[in-house]
Amino acid sequence: MTSQPQGRPLEVLTLGLQGEVFALDAHCVREILDLVPVTDVPGARAFVGGVVNVRGKVVPLADLRVMFGMERTPPTPDTRIVVVELDLGGEPATVGILADKVLEVTGIAPAAVADTPRIGMRWRPEFIRCIGKRDDEFIIVPDLGRIFS
Amino acid sequence: MTQADPAEIFRQEAQDLLEQLEQALLDLEKDAGNRDLIDGAFRALHTIKGSGAMFGFDRASAFTHHVETAFDRVRRGEVAASAELIAVALAAKDHIRTLIEQPDAADPAEGERLLGALQAVVHGAQAAAPAPEPGRSPADGAAPGHPVLWRVRFRLPKDAMALGTNPLLLLDELRALGPCTVTALTDALPPVEEMEADGCYLSWDVALTTDRPRSAIEEVFLFVIDDMDLKIEAVDGAGPPKKLGEILVERGDVPAAAVDAALAGQDRLGALLVKAGAASEGQVRSALAEQQHARHEDTARAAASVRVPAERLDGLMDRVGELVITQARLSQLANSRGDADIKTVVEELERLIAELRDTAMGIRMVPIGSIFGRFRRLVHDLSRDLGKQVELITVGEETELDKTVVEHLADPLVHLIRNAVDHGLEAPADRVARGKPERGQVRLVARHAGAEVLIGIADDGRGLDRERIRAKAEEHGLIPAGAKLSDGELYQFLFHPGFSTARAVTSVSGRGVGMDVVKRTIDALRGTIDIATTPGRGTEMTLRLPLTLAIIDGLLVRVGAGRYAIPLPAVEECVELSAAADTRSTGRSFLNIRGDLVPFLRLRELFGSRTPADPHQKVVIVATGEQRVGLVVDQIIGSHQTVIKSLSRLHADVEMFSGATILGDGTVALILDIAHLVDAGQARDQQRIAS
Amino acid sequence: MTKSILSVDDSASMRQMVRLTLAGAGYHVVEATDGADGLAKARGTLFDMILTDLNMPVMDGLTFIRELRQLPSYRGVPIIFLTTESDAGKKQDAKAAGGTGWITKPFQQDQLLAVARKVLGS
Repeated sequence: MTSQPQGRPLEVLTLGLQGEVFALDAHCVREILDLVPVTDVPGARAFVGGVVNVRGKVVPLADLRVMFGMERTPPTPDTRIVVVELDLGGEPATVGILADKVLEVTGIAPAAVADTPRIGMRWRPEFIRCIGKRDDEFIIVPDLGRIFS
Repeated sequence: MTQADPAEIFRQEAQDLLEQLEQALLDLEKDAGNRDLIDGAFRALHTIKGSGAMFGFDRASAFTHHVETAFDRVRRGEVAASAELIAVALAAKDHIRTLIEQPDAADPAEGERLLGALQAVVHGAQAAAPAPEPGRSPADGAAPGHPVLWRVRFRLPKDAMALGTNPLLLLDELRALGPCTVTALTDALPPVEEMEADGCYLSWDVALTTDRPRSAIEEVFLFVIDDMDLKIEAVDGAGPPKKLGEILVERGDVPAAAVDAALAGQDRLGALLVKAGAASEGQVRSALAEQQHARHEDTARAAASVRVPAERLDGLMDRVGELVITQARLSQLANSRGDADIKTVVEELERLIAELRDTAMGIRMVPIGSIFGRFRRLVHDLSRDLGKQVELITVGEETELDKTVVEHLADPLVHLIRNAVDHGLEAPADRVARGKPERGQVRLVARHAGAEVLIGIADDGRGLDRERIRAKAEEHGLIPAGAKLSDGELYQFLFHPGFSTARAVTSVSGRGVGMDVVKRTIDALRGTIDIATTPGRGTEMTLRLPLTLAIIDGLLVRVGAGRYAIPLPAVEECVELSAAADTRSTGRSFLNIRGDLVPFLRLRELFGSRTPADPHQKVVIVATGEQRVGLVVDQIIGSHQTVIKSLSRLHADVEMFSGATILGDGTVALILDIAHLVDAGQARDQQRIAS
Repeated sequence: MTKSILSVDDSASMRQMVRLTLAGAGYHVVEATDGADGLAKARGTLFDMILTDLNMPVMDGLTFIRELRQLPSYRGVPIIFLTTESDAGKKQDAKAAGGTGWITKPFQQDQLLAVARKVLGS
């Protein structure tokens, strides 16, 4: 697990998913949408089981809860779609990430970032880039590259 | 009149001629100077040589040519018809007979010996001249170039028409090369009393704009070129259209000084020149005609085509696509509002946008013939380099594809054609040994099929060797030894990088580099490659490409809670599945549609729909390639202008859908990939049968 | 109006091939076996085109062409002669005798059709 290079705070967008706090690299985030109708894609892998219309573009909707084995409760009025742009195999791709609620854009100080402990982890360590701490909370930074490969 | 084969008649004729020849030779032994006998012998040889070549008896013709050449010296009195000569000639005659009647039994060494002996007797008759090539004029290989303005001026001899030449036909041939402006010059007309009724006194100036080469223009005058005045010059087209004076000076009709002097006056140049006697009216009229022609062609050419950067075209397509979507939303709103006036306008809008869509699509589509041209050259070079005779046949050159797809297809097709010629076709000797025509054939066929374009490359060569491929696959560790594989699965290994069953690496192919690149390119175009082969008879590779039109006509259907679009060109018909037929067909794989058994797929099952099924299911019968399949859906909604949006790479593994589209209400509908659905359906059937 | 062609050649196989090619393209074809036969037939009917070999017994091609051109009705009628590579001089002679154009042996069927079209129009 690589840890954050010293000295530079990681700018992130934090979001809540099933009671946990996740953080996405703020630079990847393109926009945040209210929940729109989702079209199922039969035969797709479970964590990208649907697509949505983002201003004329058909974008896959990713549900991180699947990757982390979380319960998938129905959406609420706070549910949002965070549209990010990633590099997939050398080419840019647009993906929507489901969030129970969007929290804020903030920085995580490098000192607060620690390597993912190998033991005692609830989540699949291979999908986590690193773990930050803020106040008393753990913030999980998922490794989107791995997840979407 | 009999429809007999001329070649058969030739065999008979040759027998007669050879008998005549033998008789003449035998008589000559006793009467060596007899001109008639010598002429008769010569004529017999001459006819056999000429007609032999006409009807495919090339070896006989070539051999006879040498004998004829030797005998020509006798005919011209340079050599006597000695007993020696006659003896050799008689033996040669026997050899000719063998070459015609039993060519396989003819011994080439014997032929060489006879010709050598003939040479010796005739002393220094030309060393074996190369056999005459079949008299085809070389095909005009120059590729069409840019249109050029040519100035063609010709005058025929006075007796040309009496001798059968029709100048009007010459002008017609010139017109066939491109737009022409013709001016007849009457300068040389004699007074009526002196005219001969069929004398040719006119000359012509023709301004011709053509992209054909100069040789094509000269060819028009083939029969008369030695006896006539002919001037063909290319006119420099760059720059502004020429002035009248320039044209006259260029043609040498008028000295520059006269033009300058005339221009100093007030009248129009042409009239001035005529008045000053510096130019004839005919010449001026003709130069004016050329000027008009050049001007007209310039504007015509300018109007004929416009260069557009590709990104602009893409941008245009995107705008049109968005227009289509927005119009769909408007239609929906108009329908829900119920305002008749608005509805009418919206319908008109729908029609106009459909036309706009078609026009925009038309700009992007090019006929595949645009890349077929280069393949002729390729095949020609390949056949020369590999020593094989190959005929390339193309069908469907007018089949249109999206411009970008066509450009990407060129390389894969080159690879496949190379393979067909290099590895598919056998050497000419082998082919003949197998009873095949010496010339191998490669067929390139393009056609539309439903929502796909099919491009086939077929050869009539040796076919694929299943065992060799299998052995190679095992060697490369791609399959375990003894694994059972279907033909289709086995042949797919040909696309594996570095996989080549070629025994020899030729300069043309064999390194196994080409096929994996071909597969990758076709995959990137979301296409597939099918391989069919018959050992000893040939191989056919078929590329199936989805029409990548950004906008297609689609049929919208509902399956469960989701809506899906089916490419309309693939749809044959829609029928309702009666409740009875529905229950009857549970657990079965075929529907009985008016007596035809059609395999079907229940999309609800395939998609895992959980909502309650509609009581009356519908079946949409689609065709893909040669197969039909019925897709069972809950509801048929209607036709829909489907703007194709590609799916993300994250959904590249979902083969049932070729893309997505946005509906009027903003939601997403997936576009069904018919070919893959049919495969999926077949697979499930196999499972069901197996279980 | 169907165009008519007189085909003169002492070789039966050549005559057959010419007939198959030209009749197949819609021309009316009459055959003659040598120059004398050809001249007799040409006097009887006015043909639109004459096709003749040069190397024939009884009356050879050159003589045939010369005689034909003496007939007033054959002024202006195209006469096509068959020539082989080796007699370039013959080509000049045939033209001087009044021949209009030529086809070089051996030739393919489409070459024959092309020449017919060239001198008769399409």
